[in-house]
Amino acid sequence: MRYLMGIRRKAMSQSRRRPAPGMASVHLIAWAFMLLWMGAADRVLASAWTVQLTLMRDTIEDAMIMPSALFIDQEREQYYVVDSGKNRLLSFNRQGALLNVFNAGGALKTPFDMVRTEDGMIWVVEKGRNSLTSIDLLGKKTTPHTLRSREGAVYPHRLETDGEQLFVQDSASGDIIVYDSGLREQQRFVCTECSQGFFDFKVASGKIWALDWLGKSVYVLAMSGTVEMTIRLGDEVTYPVSLALGPGGYLFVLDRHSRQVVVFDPDGAFKYRLLQQGIATGQLYYPVEILFDPWDGMCIVDEGNARVEVYQQ
Amino acid sequence: MRPSLLLLIVGCLFFGCAGLSAAAEQDSCFTCHEKGLFQDQVVHEPVKSGKCSICHNPHAARYKGLLRFEKGKLCYTCHQEKAESFTKGIVHEPINLHECTACHEPHAASGKGLVARDLKARCLACHGPREENDKIIPGLAEKYKHTHQPYLEGECGACHQPHNSVRPMLLVQAPDELCGSCHAEGELQAKHTGYPGTLRGCLTCHNPHGSDRPALIRNVLHEPYEQGCDSCHEQSSGRVSVEKCGECHAEAFGEMLASHTHLTRRDGNACVNCHSPHAGDEQRLLRARQKQVCAACHRESINKYKNSAFKHGKNIDNCVDCHHQHGGNDMAMLKGNGLEVCALCHENQGKFTHPVGPEVPDPRTGRMITCITCHNPMGTDYPYNLILDGKQQLCVQCHKEY
Repeated sequence: MRYLMGIRRKAMSQSRRRPAPGMASVHLIAWAFMLLWMGAADRVLASAWTVQLTLMRDTIEDAMIMPSALFIDQEREQYYVVDSGKNRLLSFNRQGALLNVFNAGGALKTPFDMVRTEDGMIWVVEKGRNSLTSIDLLGKKTTPHTLRSREGAVYPHRLETDGEQLFVQDSASGDIIVYDSGLREQQRFVCTECSQGFFDFKVASGKIWALDWLGKSVYVLAMSGTVEMTIRLGDEVTYPVSLALGPGGYLFVLDRHSRQVVVFDPDGAFKYRLLQQGIATGQLYYPVEILFDPWDGMCIVDEGNARVEVYQQ
Repeated sequence: MRPSLLLLIVGCLFFGCAGLSAAAEQDSCFTCHEKGLFQDQVVHEPVKSGKCSICHNPHAARYKGLLRFEKGKLCYTCHQEKAESFTKGIVHEPINLHECTACHEPHAASGKGLVARDLKARCLACHGPREENDKIIPGLAEKYKHTHQPYLEGECGACHQPHNSVRPMLLVQAPDELCGSCHAEGELQAKHTGYPGTLRGCLTCHNPHGSDRPALIRNVLHEPYEQGCDSCHEQSSGRVSVEKCGECHAEAFGEMLASHTHLTRRDGNACVNCHSPHAGDEQRLLRARQKQVCAACHRESINKYKNSAFKHGKNIDNCVDCHHQHGGNDMAMLKGNGLEVCALCHENQGKFTHPVGPEVPDPRTGRMITCITCHNPMGTDYPYNLILDGKQQLCVQCHKEY
């Protein structure tokens, strides 16, 4: 009992102890400054992205219609834009100057995404004929391939490469299927929790970052297929259509309906949002894809504004 | 006098006066307003306690019925806990419109929760057939040739939540679970002899309200379903591929070969995202009414449209008036570019208004000016669905010299 009373007395004496008035003000100011700084840091990060480059065609007659994807060739320092509305691919140099316009002799039918593998082969998702089409530039040969798997026909939507293998997101199954250069199925990444499967994905840091748009979640998968982490985007997004892994391991999610980029930290916590709806430079109308180039540029493909804008921090 | 006694007397006087005051207030109101109209099995607490002035200002007010607050706020002044809970999940339309009195009587009612005992009649006032924008919108009938018993008895609440739910149609449970809560599994299995695997997807064949067919089978049957399961289902796996649907529905299948499509995973067949493969209530065999089908995935778009101050004019009942339902190569799967889709109805608009079309570049982007450069048909905060204030703010986006 005496022991308990002792504790109580000690607590009371501590509660009566007050810091000197001047000292309290200093503490208060320090805390306020710290809180302000912590809040402001995110805002500074959020406001620091500005447009450095715009990939588009200058004339109204030759303007892109519904550009749908971007591929970046680090070795050649080139950007490739898929102009789905005009059935062509455009290449730009790192400074944004147009290099080439390519339509495979008019053979492309609603191209949607593309990659270039290390062997120089260009692979194009052609939605108009449901094909993963190979383009051999040296051999001047364009070959459409209709993919099939044990589940039935494959309907390619998004396409990535690690240089050799092709990672194909199949609309019909919602799975990501890995093919070798001979288009033999190597592996399949399945989302067992998603009602609609994956919608977009990126291969980064030896992992697959895959977006379940309807479930508003991002799954981080090891190359073995195991889900290592699930990030719930929740009400921070309305209609997420694309994702990219940005500097510092931050996750950048493109929200088509809010016309913003919503940023999450490596632990999946919401940090800040970027950009706004509009037509002017630095604004988004109907954005469709986000990715980072090797020079830390955040690239956003905007169907509605018929352009790709590259932002730098 | 002892302080406690003094306190008791003051308390009695205070509460006595308060009671007297409420009674006096009510008597005063009922000198003009007939008291009988405010009495029923269940009486709203402010009426019961004679405090009409909780809701009404006896002298003057900004709102109809001398209400103290606008309709969206008045009820929540007392029912504060509801304000937040009613924002979660899918919300019943009257709540979105702040129309609590669409279902609840404000003074007295024959049923619990100030809802009329004949709940079904109240529900059918909105969910029955109705005229909207000079069109007859089909709705639920009061009874069918074969009517589901809870529906016949007016027990709408047996399946639906009245305010909000995480499930479409405000269901109290997931559809199959809900059916199973009354229909025992053994009973169901016996009625579905030969059904492969576990019974599921009750609503793909049955109408939960009623039908012209026995067992509430929906009125319109898919032709191959009538011919037998093997018409579509692979014998080994039981699955049906999208291509199988495309064998008959080549046009719809062709529409899905586009940059934006509704070809997405759903039990291995994207068609059943929207269509019921066996039976439906109309020829397209949609799983629900058009807007509800779209809302299953695009609820936020529909909410944005509904909640906009200025919506696209009347005669737009369905998303598919402007959007392709299967797939398309234009933005948001519109039925053409920003000119073509509007010209489906507004034939002459571009000929006498602001110049639009391929010859008219937007100075901000160099791209063609179209109707949607200035208007957003999905609704905005400005008249004529303008994206900014049309008095000045919008025009100076391009006409900076003014």
